[in-house]
Amino acid sequence: MKDLGAPLLFRIMEKRKKKRLREPNPFMGPPLKCAGRLRQIMTRHYYLSRFAKGARPVAWVTSGAPVEILRVFGFYTIYPENHGALCGAQKMGPELCAEAEKKGYHSDLCSYARIDLGHAFSGKTPAGRLPRPDLLFASNNICQTVLYWYKQLSHQWDIPLITFDTPYNFQEIRSGDIHFMVRQFEEMVPELEKISGRKYSHKRFQKIIRIAAETSRTWGQVLAAMKHRPAPMTIFDAFVHLAPVVSLRGLPVALEYYRVLLNELNERIEEGIGAVREEKKRLMWDNIAVWFKLRDWSHLFAERGVNFVAATYTNAWAETIHHLTEESPFESMAKAYSLIILNNNLSHRLKLMEKMIRDYQVDGLVILSLRSCKPYSVGQYDLKRLLMERLGIKSLIIESDMTDFRTYSEEQARTRIEAFLEGLGV
Amino acid sequence: MHITRKEYLLEQKEKGRRLMGVFPALYPREILWALDIVPAEIWDPPLEIRQAGAHLQPYICSVVRLGLELILQGKCDFLDGFLFPHTCDSIQNLASVIYDFIGARKPCYFFYHPKIPHGHTARDYYLKNLKALAAELKRQFGPLKMDSLREKVDMGRRISELLGELYDLRAARRLDASNEAFYRTIRKGEYLFPDDYIAELEGFLTQTRSEESRNGATIILSGILPNPPQILTLLDDLDVQVGHDDLLNGSRRLLISNEKPGDPFEYMAECYFHMPPCPTRGSSISDRMRHLLSLINATGAKGVIFNVVKFCEPEWFDVPNLQEELKKRGVPSLVLDTELNQGLSGQMKTRLEAFIEIVRVHRESITTKH
Ligand code: SF4
Repeated sequence: MKDLGAPLLFRIMEKRKKKRLREPNPFMGPPLKCAGRLRQIMTRHYYLSRFAKGARPVAWVTSGAPVEILRVFGFYTIYPENHGALCGAQKMGPELCAEAEKKGYHSDLCSYARIDLGHAFSGKTPAGRLPRPDLLFASNNICQTVLYWYKQLSHQWDIPLITFDTPYNFQEIRSGDIHFMVRQFEEMVPELEKISGRKYSHKRFQKIIRIAAETSRTWGQVLAAMKHRPAPMTIFDAFVHLAPVVSLRGLPVALEYYRVLLNELNERIEEGIGAVREEKKRLMWDNIAVWFKLRDWSHLFAERGVNFVAATYTNAWAETIHHLTEESPFESMAKAYSLIILNNNLSHRLKLMEKMIRDYQVDGLVILSLRSCKPYSVGQYDLKRLLMERLGIKSLIIESDMTDFRTYSEEQARTRIEAFLEGLGV
Repeated sequence: MHITRKEYLLEQKEKGRRLMGVFPALYPREILWALDIVPAEIWDPPLEIRQAGAHLQPYICSVVRLGLELILQGKCDFLDGFLFPHTCDSIQNLASVIYDFIGARKPCYFFYHPKIPHGHTARDYYLKNLKALAAELKRQFGPLKMDSLREKVDMGRRISELLGELYDLRAARRLDASNEAFYRTIRKGEYLFPDDYIAELEGFLTQTRSEESRNGATIILSGILPNPPQILTLLDDLDVQVGHDDLLNGSRRLLISNEKPGDPFEYMAECYFHMPPCPTRGSSISDRMRHLLSLINATGAKGVIFNVVKFCEPEWFDVPNLQEELKKRGVPSLVLDTELNQGLSGQMKTRLEAFIEIVRVHRESITTKH
């Protein structure tokens, strides 16, 4: 698509950013040089989306959905969850949630969903304008919530909704489940051809699969860089740098970006540059980020010489997607997408967390209990207990939402964090 | 039958039957019956939450919290296993908490039902899952005789016919039963073995079938289950009849299939795909709306009460659109945000009474217009 005015926009952004530049934090290492590039990529993505309508078919997609299949048909993809995170980071969560609540959506529902519905009703967004979709594409591999949520949009706008149903793995994945998912892909193809007006090309699909797998693998290497002491970046960086693997997966731009980021991290490792100047303790994060607290918390922990070096959330896009193979794209997609953390039983999650704690030499765990997200949060109390019993790992549970700070209590969170850090001896 | 649920289940056990604790909501009960297993469904045990809070956050719905509490208080020790259908995120994770972490010390079974709109792929998959569940249960509780399965499918069919008749009579205002008595009876299906349930339903039909048409306002009750029961008694006191329901443990589970049972598995699959729409099966808003309107038309109901369990996502998401559509059609509706077994607060009671007033006025204005 023609790059209409994006360069100008970036220049304006850079100017604004320079104005906003805050004092560097003395407890943190130099910021990642890549950050500016990331900002450009994501701004460009949202900026161009304004012109996508009419030029390309537009799809709104859930974060765990197998987007590779849409790329074959040239869909311009928007990720409402990523948009929700953006709104959260810009502290617009409560405002957009309230728009949905005005229409009757309960304040107990997932705040990503409320933000998205609030945006759909009011048009408010920090991204300028989002194109209305031609297709809604949801997979319940992250939660059933997305199915309930997307069907509201589908009803509201009378837009087709394609659901990719991934049976939850109560135990091992079964051959019948894989077959079921492969057949869904086969059935999707003619539907997607109809909606997009483009023909399916197996060759194109294979190329996309190759890029997506490589992107996920490279993202995994980016995260693995944090195994080094001191870790060259923090999980708060990773929460932000996650955006391309979530929303641009399968496109060369995401892969290229992570190669550059990985190089930068390797350089930092060679030069012994840590994200936190004096890394005394290393922590792991469980659950989605608290978007409105990213900056505050990264400073708060850094001041005590504490770095977050791993998170189950960021790991989700590195855990299974690199298993995609161009030889059997449908089958490998079925397995990769149904085995992700939130579609897998809690025994798997416990083992994964144990492994991460060991691999990343983690000293403590911060668990975010999210009212918004049942599949991520139900089971955390037992995970906390079991990790303590098995590995002696201390952990802290914080109650908050990821975007809607109306229910967040700064005082309570601070007190708990302080007490936890004291317990860790920092 | 005047014995309690617990006494009944213990009696069944003495007879040599096995007991399976079943979490909500949709599962092939005929397979269990054919294996001489009594499903004891766990919806809203009358307990105070004391231990479940150590495992579940306070923002998890009370169906899930009470279900776990029942296990933790040792009140399921006499059961022989658990079955977890895949109903929603919370039940899904609860199943894993119990199986993977707490340890039920009993065999656990899981049943996934497809969430995609119904087509061949979903149907074939459902069929496969039925057979897979039967094979697993057989290993522990077998053998599974096809004759027995056929017989139980027929019984399930008979139950559906009886329930259908009861619902139809009620819709036609020819059932002389209070709301409370209706649901008390219907809900015995949550634990009675089919022959006993059939007898119970037949008895109830005989006692309550009425030649005279009932008067009074009629509403539709939508939600997961008729709890707190005080809603029903308050409606009874106000002389309002639930004309039909759209409850997950009520009519949403009615097996309606025109097919004659041939192969029992095929028949069960057919029934699943013919059940009334439900968000836990991925039904669209339009399908739900069409269904609600058909219930309103069939009963002449003048309002809809959405009795929604607090924190129940599948229900809460659909409510605004359903309410909006009802409003467009001039049908008043009320939304109640309820916790199981917590009774009705004064405020809820007032809202319910005020709503009934609106329904009455609405009814009178329509009657006068005609
Ligand atoms: S936050 Fe949780 S409930 Fe909300 S969309 Fe993400 S996975 Fe689903």
